[in-house]
Amino acid sequence: MNAKRITTGLSMILKMLFRRRIIIISLVVIPVLFLTIVELTAPTRTIPFRLASLDIRTFIRESLKEIALVFFAVTSSGFLVSLLALNLIQVENDVNRRLVICGYNPFEILISNLLALSLLIIAIAVYIGLLVSWFVPINNLLMFILGLALIGFVYGCYGLAIGSLIKGKMEGVFLIVMLANIDSGWLQNPMYYAEAHNNVIIRYLPAYFPSQSAVIAAFTDYSGAMARFYGILYGSGFLILSMFIFYNKMRIKK
Amino acid sequence: MILKVENIAKSFGRNKVLNNVSFEMDAASLYGIVGENGSGKSTLLKIIVGEWKHDHGTISVSGALGYCPQNTLLFSQLTVDEHFRYFAAAYGIEKAESTDRSESLMDYFNFRKYRKEKIAHLSGGTQQKLNLAIALLHRPKLLILDEPYSGFDWDTYSRFWDYTNQLRSEGCAILVVTHLLTEKERFDRIFNLEQGELT
Repeated sequence: MNAKRITTGLSMILKMLFRRRIIIISLVVIPVLFLTIVELTAPTRTIPFRLASLDIRTFIRESLKEIALVFFAVTSSGFLVSLLALNLIQVENDVNRRLVICGYNPFEILISNLLALSLLIIAIAVYIGLLVSWFVPINNLLMFILGLALIGFVYGCYGLAIGSLIKGKMEGVFLIVMLANIDSGWLQNPMYYAEAHNNVIIRYLPAYFPSQSAVIAAFTDYSGAMARFYGILYGSGFLILSMFIFYNKMRIKK
Repeated sequence: MILKVENIAKSFGRNKVLNNVSFEMDAASLYGIVGENGSGKSTLLKIIVGEWKHDHGTISVSGALGYCPQNTLLFSQLTVDEHFRYFAAAYGIEKAESTDRSESLMDYFNFRKYRKEKIAHLSGGTQQKLNLAIALLHRPKLLILDEPYSGFDWDTYSRFWDYTNQLRSEGCAILVVTHLLTEKERFDRIFNLEQGELT
């Protein structure tokens, strides 16, 4: 492992990323668009709902609009980071392979990508967190942002795994959109979850713990530590899987 | 000896692409491999550089290896200068040396004026020049070139051969793969890859 190679890789990855204007525009515009649509369309009726990850089976009363705003913040954070991670790994895969032939260790390339992804996860979580707090009062903003970073971590590592495994762009985007849509965009919605017939399946999906962590921080004073812990474990599983696939695909075969 | 390839075999499913391919290369030699499209030339090179795994056989390379792939493998959003910096880090070359070397290569192949341009904005020929220059950046002992001059104009093509002669005089072994060979007298040896075997 060579620190100079990793920092050179990181600086080049960030340059490549920020020179793609459509990516920057998407990062800024998509959350604003999602939240504005929710703000303009969601009803303000207050409903009680239950948070499954809390030990105390308590009901929280919030307006549908506020629930939807927090929920869409979580969804857009996971979705954006996942697509960025896919883009980081997949788009320049063949050239990265050439770097490995020329002397880079596959792990050096992966660490550079992970560092770039970490910076993006933090930036996206802070941006979306502050944006949502402008629409709706957030109980614990710091922990809420941490919840958004957590879904970024879990879905970012999922994006890395898909990017390492799947060569086709369309197929990669499809797998991300499908899971993000079904899991984070539908099943983890507290309103849907509370009424679900079988919520055991929902608990095993990637967005479950990060969503719980963010919603707990947004609406309650309860600790979301366990949800955060399990979320980190879940993300680490994807991370190890993606590292394994990436290394096996990139290493020199002799 | 710089390169020793012994009994390399490779199949894709039932299609046997390489069948016990063996050859050796000494320092300062220039070998060519010709063959029809799909005969396995690029497969052999990818196996030698370690990009693909072979089914059996051994390959030994002594000294630094430079590889110019058939397709221009470059980062579309980085500039020419940034490519030299990135690949210099891969080769482990110090900044001062890589700057000298990259400037001399840009001057020789006449693309210094594009050094601040992103690859996405360059012509195919200029991209091919950079593709080749990256393989030469670290003064390799073994240079493997896969269809290296396909996008070159006549002037660049002549410069390419002058440069390879200079490299050979410095002891570099060069292996060129092409489907079209016009100047056979330049080579020490030319192999024909046919039905997975070198003749």
